[in-house]
Amino acid sequence: MKRFKTTKGLIGIVLLLVILLVAILGPMVIPPDAATAMDMRARRAPPSLTHFFGTDQLGRDMFYRVILGTRTSLEIAVSAVVMSIVLGLPLGLISGYLGGLIDNVLMRLVDTLLAFPALLLALTISAVLGPNIQNTIIAIGVAFTPYLARIIRGEALRVAQMPYVEAARSSGTTDIMIMWRHVLPNIMPAVIVQSTISLAFAILAEAGLSFLGLGTQPPAASWGLMIQASRDQLDIAPWTALVPGMAVALTVLGLNMFGDVLRDILDPRAK
Amino acid sequence: MKDIVTVDHLRVEFSTDDGPVIGVKDVSFAIAPGETLCVVGESGSGKSVTSLSLMRLVEFGGGTITNGALNFVRMDGTTLDVAAASPQVMGAVRGNEIGMIFQEPMTALNPVFTIERQLTDGLMLHKGLSQEAATARALDLLKSVRIPEPERRLKQYPHELSGGMRQRVVIAIAIAMACEPKLLIADEPTTALDVTIQAEILALINRLKRENGMAVLFITHDMAVVAQMADRVVVMRHGSIVETGTVQQIFENPQEDYTKALLAAVPKLGEMKGKAAPERMRLIGDEAARAAQTAPKPRKPQVLLQVKNLTTRFPVKGGILRRTVAQVHAVEDVSFTLNVGETLALVGESGCGKSSCGRSILRLIEPTSGEVWIGGRDIGALNRQDLRRARADMQMVFQDPFASLNPYRRLKDQVAEPIQNFGLASGAELRDWVLQLFDRVRLPREFMNRFPHELSGGQRQRVAIARALAVNPKLIVADEAVSALDVSVQAQVLNLMMELQEDLGLSYLFISHDMAVVERVAHHVGVMYLGRIVEIGPRGSVFDNPSHPYTKSLLSAVPIADPSKRRFAEDLAFKPISSPIFPLDHRPALSVYTEVAPGHHVLQA
Amino acid sequence: MRALCGARVLSLGVLHMAYVLNRLLSVILTLFLITLVTFAVTNILPGDVAMMIMGTQSNPEALAGLRQSLGLNDPLLVQYGHWVGGMVTGDWGTSLIFKKPIIELLGQKALASAIIVIMSMTIALALAVPLGVWAAVHRDKWQDTVSSSSALMGVSLPDFFWGILMILVFARWLGWFPSSGFVDPSVDFWATLRHAFLPSFALGLGLMAHLTRMTRSTMTGILSQEFIRVARAKGLAERTVIWRYALANAIGPVITIAGLQIGYLFGSIIVMESLFGYTGMGWLTYQALLNRDLPLIQYTVVFIAAVVMLTNLAVDLLYVVIDPRIRLG
Repeated sequence: MKRFKTTKGLIGIVLLLVILLVAILGPMVIPPDAATAMDMRARRAPPSLTHFFGTDQLGRDMFYRVILGTRTSLEIAVSAVVMSIVLGLPLGLISGYLGGLIDNVLMRLVDTLLAFPALLLALTISAVLGPNIQNTIIAIGVAFTPYLARIIRGEALRVAQMPYVEAARSSGTTDIMIMWRHVLPNIMPAVIVQSTISLAFAILAEAGLSFLGLGTQPPAASWGLMIQASRDQLDIAPWTALVPGMAVALTVLGLNMFGDVLRDILDPRAK
Repeated sequence: MKDIVTVDHLRVEFSTDDGPVIGVKDVSFAIAPGETLCVVGESGSGKSVTSLSLMRLVEFGGGTITNGALNFVRMDGTTLDVAAASPQVMGAVRGNEIGMIFQEPMTALNPVFTIERQLTDGLMLHKGLSQEAATARALDLLKSVRIPEPERRLKQYPHELSGGMRQRVVIAIAIAMACEPKLLIADEPTTALDVTIQAEILALINRLKRENGMAVLFITHDMAVVAQMADRVVVMRHGSIVETGTVQQIFENPQEDYTKALLAAVPKLGEMKGKAAPERMRLIGDEAARAAQTAPKPRKPQVLLQVKNLTTRFPVKGGILRRTVAQVHAVEDVSFTLNVGETLALVGESGCGKSSCGRSILRLIEPTSGEVWIGGRDIGALNRQDLRRARADMQMVFQDPFASLNPYRRLKDQVAEPIQNFGLASGAELRDWVLQLFDRVRLPREFMNRFPHELSGGQRQRVAIARALAVNPKLIVADEAVSALDVSVQAQVLNLMMELQEDLGLSYLFISHDMAVVERVAHHVGVMYLGRIVEIGPRGSVFDNPSHPYTKSLLSAVPIADPSKRRFAEDLAFKPISSPIFPLDHRPALSVYTEVAPGHHVLQA
Repeated sequence: MRALCGARVLSLGVLHMAYVLNRLLSVILTLFLITLVTFAVTNILPGDVAMMIMGTQSNPEALAGLRQSLGLNDPLLVQYGHWVGGMVTGDWGTSLIFKKPIIELLGQKALASAIIVIMSMTIALALAVPLGVWAAVHRDKWQDTVSSSSALMGVSLPDFFWGILMILVFARWLGWFPSSGFVDPSVDFWATLRHAFLPSFALGLGLMAHLTRMTRSTMTGILSQEFIRVARAKGLAERTVIWRYALANAIGPVITIAGLQIGYLFGSIIVMESLFGYTGMGWLTYQALLNRDLPLIQYTVVFIAAVVMLTNLAVDLLYVVIDPRIRLG
C-alpha cells in the first residue's frame, strides 16, 4: 500500500507538473495563430503527424487548442478556488471559533446556500451576469464558497476545543492571536487538502459551464467548449470529444491523486 | 494439574511501511486451571499483543505469529496449537472455549443491535440453541454478572447502559458458553472505568473464576490491580519478558531492576500514614532528587485562593427552538480555601464536577454564581481586560499531553507565548527566560527548537508545566495532569511538581481520580460527589478517618499495590452515581458542613 | 454526551415528536431563505433584467413595457413580496419562452427527473456499497487498489463525458439504447426506462465513484472499532462480522452521504438531460437559463433547492429511524 501511495503521489505530482508547464509555457511556445488558423481542406482530420490530435469542424489543430484550453481551464479554476477561500476561510474560521449567535446566523445562511446545487448556482450567476471568463470565475467561486466555509468551520470548531487553545486562553492570549497562532495553522492542512479537491471540481465545473454555453465563450479555447462542439460529429470524428475529454480527465485525476496523498500525509484522521 | 495454556517462545511481527516491527519476542509462560496470570507492563511492552495472539486476533491488526507455539487444552482434552490452527477451528474456539474482555466498554458493544441479540448470536452459533433457549440463557448470564433489571436490559441498546453495565455485558458475552470458557482473557478490562466500578468488575471476575474454575489471563498496566488479582505475574517490557514469578515473589522480592523501578514508582494507598507533609517518590536512579529534598520550611499559613459558594450549571437544550429544558448541576455550592505553597486535591469519579470546578475558578467556563478570590481580587467580578491580566497569576496543566500542545509551533514559542502576552520580555531576555524554564523542568535545552511530536508524553507534560510556570503564577490548576502517563513517568512528573512547589512556593489545585497519588502529593483533600464537596480537610485526617459514606466507599474501592492486602473477594455493589441533571426550577439545598476534626468538614446529609 | 443525558429526561416518543417539529420549523425558515437567496441572485446582481431577457439590441419602448409588466419599476422589496405572494397562492406566472403556466411545466418535468434521479442513485448504491465494503475489508491490498483506482477514475471524468461515451458506445455503435428523448411513462413504461437508462447510468458512474470512497472510509472506521473485535472474539464467522455487524453500522452514514449527493445530482442533471435531450427539470432549467426566461429561472431554481433540502430532511429523519442512538447534537 505504501508503494501504491507513493506511486499514486508520484503520478499525481508528475501529471500536475506537466499540466502546469503546458499551461504556462504552452501559449508562449506554440506558433501565435496555430490554434485559430482554420484549414478548410483538413476539417475533421483524424490524428496524424501533421495534426497530432486531429482537427475540429473548422479545421483548427486540436493539439494547439487543447494546449490553449489548459491555460484557460487552470486560470479559471485557480482564480475561482482562490476566491472561494478568500470568502470562505474567514467566514468558517470566525463562525467555528467564536460560535454563538454569529455562528448560528452564518451557518443558517451557508446551509441555505448548500441546498442549491453548486452547478445550478454557478449557471444561474453566470447567466445573470452574462457569460464570459471573468463571470465564470465569480460564478464558480461563489458557488463553492459555502462548501469551503462549512468544512473550515467544522475544523475550526474541532481545533477551538483542543486543550492547547484552552491553555493559550488561560495564559492571556487574545482571541485574535489564538485564531492566528493556534487555530489557523491547525486548520491549514484541511484547507490545503480541500483546495486541491475543490480545484478538481472547479475544472469540472468550468468544463460543464462551457459545455452548456454559459462559461467561456468562443472563440476562446476551452475544453468544455471543444466537447460541446464535438457533439454533432461524434460518429465521424470521435477524437474531437475524446481529446479534450482526456485533458480534463488527466488534470482532474492528477489533482485528485495529489489531494489523496496530501490528505494521507496532512490529515491523520482520514486514514 | 496440567496447564491449560502453554505459550512457548512466541514471536509476533507487524509489517509496517518501514519494514517488519517486532511486537513480542521469545515470550513463554503457562497458565494452570483456576489460576490468574497477570501480564503487566507499560505502554508498548507487548502485553496486549500477547493476549490477542492467543485468540489469533492479532492478525486483524496486521500482526503475524512468526515463531513459537500457543498450546491450548481444549474441552475434549486434545491439545491445539493456536498458532497453527485453521480459521474454522479458531471460530469454534473463540468465544466458546476462550472468552475475552476488552478495554473500552463504551465501544465494545455494537451500537445498533440490542443487548439480547449480541448475547444470543454466539450461543446460537456455538451451542446450536433455539432463539428462546438462547434468550433464556442470556437472561441467566445477565443475572450471573449481577446486572440490575436484567429482563429490561435484554431489549435495550448499548447507549442506554452505563459504562460499568456495558462491561458486565461484555463479560457476560465472554463467559456465555456453557458458563465455562476454560480461559478468560481480560485485556485492561477496568482501565477506562471509575474506581468503584473497577472494584465491582474485579470482584466479579474473581467470583466467576472461583465458581467456574476457569483460568484468567489478566493484562494490565496497573501494579495495584496486579497485587489484587494475580496468582502469578509476568512483567513485560519492550516486547520481552523481564521477570516471572508468584505475586508474592514479584512484590516482596523482585529480582530485576526494571521490576524494582516499576514498583518504586507506584504509590501505595496507606503508606503516607502518619506523615504530615507530602513526600516525593523514592525513584530508583533518582536518588539525587530525593537527597535534595529538604524538610519543609514551617510556613505561616497564608490564604492564596478562596472559593465561596461556587456554582456552575450547564443548560440542557431540547425541544422545539432548542430552549433550555434542564440543567446539569456540574458544580454546586462549593467553598474552600487554598494556602500559599500548599496543594489541595479535588478527588472524585468521572462526572463529579472536579474538572468543571477547576475551570470555573479560572473562568475558562463561566460560573453561574459564587466568588473566587485570589490575592484580594474577586476573579468573577473582573471584566475581560482585567481577567486577561489576572490570568498571569493562575495557570493550568491539562490531562492529555498530546492535545495540550499546538502541534504546529516550536516548543520555545509555546513556552514564550504567555510571557509575550503580558509583554514581560523580548529578544535575548525572552530567550534566556525560556532557557531557564527548560532547565527548571529538566528538559534538555536543545528541545527548545523541536515540535511536540518529537517528544514523549512525559516530556510534553514537562513542556506544559514550563508553559504554566512562564509568568510566575501563584496558582496552578493541574487537571488530571499525570493520569495519561505511564507509572514511572508519572512518578517523575509528580516529583518535579513537588520540587517546584518547595522551591517556588507554588500552590496547586490538584484534580485527580487517583486516591493513591493524591495521598502522596496533597496537603488538603476535598472529595467531590455530584458537584458538591462532601468531605474536605487535612489529608491525614480525611484518609485515616473518612467520615462521609461516599468517601468511605471510594477508599474501600481503591486497589492497594500490596498482595497481602487483598480486598475484592466478595461481590461488591456500590451505589450508582445518580444524575446531576435537574429541572429548571430545582432549588438545591445549601451545603452545610459538620466539623469532625480540626479543619475536617463533612457535608450534612 | 450532555445532550444524551438530557435525552434520558424526556421520553423517547416525545423526543421524536420534538425533533420532527423542530426540523419542520427549520424547513420553513430555510424555504424562506431559499426564496430570498434566489431573488437576490436573480435581481440584485448587476444587470438589467429586462435587458437580460430581451438582449442588448432591443428597442427602448419594448424594454420599458417589459419592465412595467414585470413590475421592475417597483422597489425590490415590493417585487419580492409580489413574487412570494404569488408563490404561496399558486399563481406562479407564465414562462416567457414556453408561453405556458410555470406550475404546469414544473409538474410535467419533475416526474421525468424523478425517474433518472432514482434510477441513477439505485445504480450508484448497488455498485458502490459492495465495492466499498470489499475495499475496506481488504484494506491496503490489491483489492483496495483496484477499488480505489476505479473510484478515482470515476470522480475524475466529467459526467457529461461519461454521457458522450455512453452515446457513442451504447447508442451509436451497439444500438442498444436510444441516445435521446423522453417517453411519458403513461404511454410506454418500458420505453421510458430505456430512454432514461443511459443518462442514469452516466450519472450513476460519477456518483458511484464518490459513494465507493465514502463507503470504504466509513467501513474502515467501523472495522477498527472494539465491538468488531468483540464479535470476532465471540467466534462469529468473518462473513457475519462484516456483512451484519459492521454493515449495520455503516448503513446510516452511507445513506446520509448518498442523501447529500442529491444536491450534486440535481446539478448534474442539468448537463446530462441537455446532452440526452431528456426533457426533465434539468433540461427545463437549462432552457430557462439559456433563453433568460426570468420567471421560469426563479421557479426552477427555488423548486430544485427546495427538493434538495426536503430530500436531505427525509434522509435525516430516516437516520433517526434506522439508528437506535438518537443523536440530536
